[in-house]
Amino acid sequence: MVIKSTDLLTFLQKTARDQLGGFTEIFAPATSPWSEPRNTFFTPLHDSQTPLLDSYRTVDPVKILIYHIREQIQNNRNGVGKHLILGVKACDLKALLLLDDALKNRDVIDPSYAKWRDTSTIVSTDCGSIAATCHCTLVGGKPYAESDFDLNLAAFDDSYWITIGTERGKELVDLMSSITTVLPGQAEQWQRVVQRRERIIQELAQQNQPFQRRDGYLDMRHCGPQPWKEEATPCIGCGACTNICPTCYCLILNDESKEGTFIKERSYDSCQWNGYARVAGGSSPRPKMNQRFRNRYLCKFDYMYHNFNRIGCTGCGRCTEACAGEIDFRRVVKAVQDSALAGKNH
Amino acid sequence: MAAPFENNGNPVWLQNPYAVIPAVIYDVVEESPLIRTLRLKPERPMVFRTGQFIELTIPGIGEGPFTPSSSHFVSQELDVTIMKTGFVTEYVHRARVGEIVGLRGPFGSHYPIEKFVGKDVVILGGGCGLAPLRSLFLTLLHEAEKYRSITFLAGAKSPKDCIYKDEVSGWRKYPNVQFKRAVDVVPEGEKWDEDVGVATILLKKLKIDPADNPAIVCGPPIMMKYGTFDLLKYGFKEENLFLSMEKKMYCGFGQCRHCVIGKYYACKDGPVFTYAQIKDEEDIWE
Repeated sequence: MVIKSTDLLTFLQKTARDQLGGFTEIFAPATSPWSEPRNTFFTPLHDSQTPLLDSYRTVDPVKILIYHIREQIQNNRNGVGKHLILGVKACDLKALLLLDDALKNRDVIDPSYAKWRDTSTIVSTDCGSIAATCHCTLVGGKPYAESDFDLNLAAFDDSYWITIGTERGKELVDLMSSITTVLPGQAEQWQRVVQRRERIIQELAQQNQPFQRRDGYLDMRHCGPQPWKEEATPCIGCGACTNICPTCYCLILNDESKEGTFIKERSYDSCQWNGYARVAGGSSPRPKMNQRFRNRYLCKFDYMYHNFNRIGCTGCGRCTEACAGEIDFRRVVKAVQDSALAGKNH
Repeated sequence: MAAPFENNGNPVWLQNPYAVIPAVIYDVVEESPLIRTLRLKPERPMVFRTGQFIELTIPGIGEGPFTPSSSHFVSQELDVTIMKTGFVTEYVHRARVGEIVGLRGPFGSHYPIEKFVGKDVVILGGGCGLAPLRSLFLTLLHEAEKYRSITFLAGAKSPKDCIYKDEVSGWRKYPNVQFKRAVDVVPEGEKWDEDVGVATILLKKLKIDPADNPAIVCGPPIMMKYGTFDLLKYGFKEENLFLSMEKKMYCGFGQCRHCVIGKYYACKDGPVFTYAQIKDEEDIWE
């Protein structure tokens, strides 16, 4: 199926204005006057706004809409409504799978995450351009989604090719059809989508040529301390990389109990901060910055792989974008892999 | 008697892992200048297995992981022995009888006491590490006749740092129980007629065949490390060495990741690990 961009916009604006389909809030990527013109941020959509669905991934990951930066997790009886989140990219969909494993699909469920996840309809869109740090193809990803969405919109010419992923996605298309025109798709139009996708893959391949790496990451733990120390030198330990990472979900609990009621809030923590793993009495497994720096990489490629059978890097490149020390994540992975392999051969 | 955990079915926290059970402090025992035991009555029974831990909330201040120090055969009341060492524990030490605290849990793995039946059980601990070991010890004493012998080797910095002082003579009355203590130093003016040295020196007097018997260790990191190595040297098997690992266990059920030891979570897969399980992981002694 196919919908014209202008019709989609009309549909979204009407939905935002009249809360059609029961959606109490719609989030879509939009530019910000305070940021670079190509950068987008998930922004509550108003009926006069035009979302930017075809750029590269948003600056903040979709995590911030579902696993909030700070949130009350107990005695929280407020309803959260129903949410429509548009413009999620394939990298963030992949991240949601890991967050689901960590927070939802297990014996113990994070009640707040589950609530937001279950009330959100996710509409993914293809990447129409790439950021300088994008490298999804280095970790087996693609700049477009083939699964794990409720609905996918793939741009071509002045339209979107619609792919339904779930029952929720189908309901959304039904809602669209009731308001505006949804046409059957033509094979020739699909070819235009494929061409566009191939072009972006080419761009990614070219951009990441210098960072080509080996398959398999479990050797990284055998890399000696020296490369880690060198790579960590510019790191100031601010934790921006972990807070902006779509798969980092480490939390701290803040006690906000008052007047005889126990209230807990959780907020993001960062393994890059000195106090992160410090125990009472002052002992810490990673007192030095370069140890904490190493921990982040091993968490992504080794520990999370053992925990969830998937790596914790989606190739979104946000950590590199956010880094005050201008550390390129791709370069570090390559350097560490090379060094681990060299050590093995000696 | 069946283990209490099974009688209770699923723990409460499976429904909401952040649910807090209010508990009133009905007694406080000052064990040493830095260590005190809070004796708590939870609003509903806190059913746990020895070695598991709970999260204790001081309302408005914060929360920390502590292992109950009482027997798991008692669930109407709960003892928690806590050292003053940081922000939350500072407030634990200011708490008074009658005040309300919060409990979450129990979380994590427990000591497999069913495997200890008919065995010579060796317990080695130091400092505030005696807290979980007291729970284990009291749980074993509840059916002391089931075990061939129970040897509790306890270390402290100095005589005044020894905890559970009033209970020692009672423990020593059991025919198959030995309770030995060592202190690092005896400052002038303090009385001490037991061993002097680090806790591991007590192993030298041990007369137990290590081949098939369990040893349980808990204490400060350095004691854990050398205690484990000495027990291995003595001949205990890696799979019979049970360690209570201290990590920053924030949430208690493997979400927050603070206590990750390689592929394990100390809170979910531990805190009780066998040495065989974790010996190849990184940073285990820190």
